[in-house]
Amino acid sequence: MPNLLDLTGRHFLVTGAGSGIGRAIAVLFAALGAKLSLVDRDEASLVEAVAGMPPGDHARHVFDLEDVERIDGLVKDIVATNGPLHGLVHAAGTQAVMPAKDIKPETWRRILAVNCEAALALGRNMGRKRVYAGDGGSIVFISSIMALAGNPGSVAYSMSKSALHGLARSLALELAPTGVRVNCIAPGFVHTPMLERLARTWDASQREAVESLHPLGFGQPEDIANAAAFLVAQTGRWVTGTVLVVDGGYLAR
Amino acid sequence: MDEFLKEMADILDEETVGETDRLEDFAAWDSLAILSVISMADSRYNAIFSAQDIKGAATLRDLYELLSKGNQATGAG
Repeated sequence: MPNLLDLTGRHFLVTGAGSGIGRAIAVLFAALGAKLSLVDRDEASLVEAVAGMPPGDHARHVFDLEDVERIDGLVKDIVATNGPLHGLVHAAGTQAVMPAKDIKPETWRRILAVNCEAALALGRNMGRKRVYAGDGGSIVFISSIMALAGNPGSVAYSMSKSALHGLARSLALELAPTGVRVNCIAPGFVHTPMLERLARTWDASQREAVESLHPLGFGQPEDIANAAAFLVAQTGRWVTGTVLVVDGGYLAR
Repeated sequence: MDEFLKEMADILDEETVGETDRLEDFAAWDSLAILSVISMADSRYNAIFSAQDIKGAATLRDLYELLSKGNQATGAG
């Protein structure tokens, strides 16, 4: 029986590849045979990520995705280094837990730039002949259950992640004629450095309360990587313009 | 201290606040205000505090001293 998740010979760009969900996705895609271009603003974490991956022609690009204006140049460099792309996963993200009344414009602008403007700047490149390798492509944006359910202190984060859903739907329609599919994955709370930083502001009872909102408990980055592999591989070939919720049951209530 | 008091006045929805003012006397001192203080501590002092830590401060001076000490205060990283 053929391996429907096989990614041999396919080239993917993964942002936020140095840690958390992005790293888990990179590790799994590499294990499935993909060639990767890994983007993160932290060089040390990228080096560590590559060291933990199966060998391959993987390239590292140190880049802060808040610099949206320079993303076309980043993609150009990636194509020059490793060839045209079969897809990308935008897993980089940033968060600031702060009520709407007190959040500063510079804070929400950074959140919007990294979480959703960068997604548009990256994703639109897949519509360019010099960037898209052809033969079917796939874009995955990592959103959040915070795009679908509210939470005090998460206004900018929720706004940025909801924007990804709208972006995925319209971009899916634009790119469908070229064979490029566009989807989102909306994770619940997953054990990542971002969650651990957030959890340090909680006491034990708060942590228990948040975890209890997930009938299956907190997730692991590999749970999201598995969903991403499904979407980019042959298994996802008839899936586009949608949101795959992977949340341990958070939204089932 | 002046900059801290200015930021706290914003968080507490007051024109001005004083260092001896008691936090529990402000109507706006609630869980969302505590979230704002946690976020301020992170961005201004690069220190992570829990709501429990913040609730331990009685006056604005107590809070200022807590945040100024950073994570030495709680032993957290």
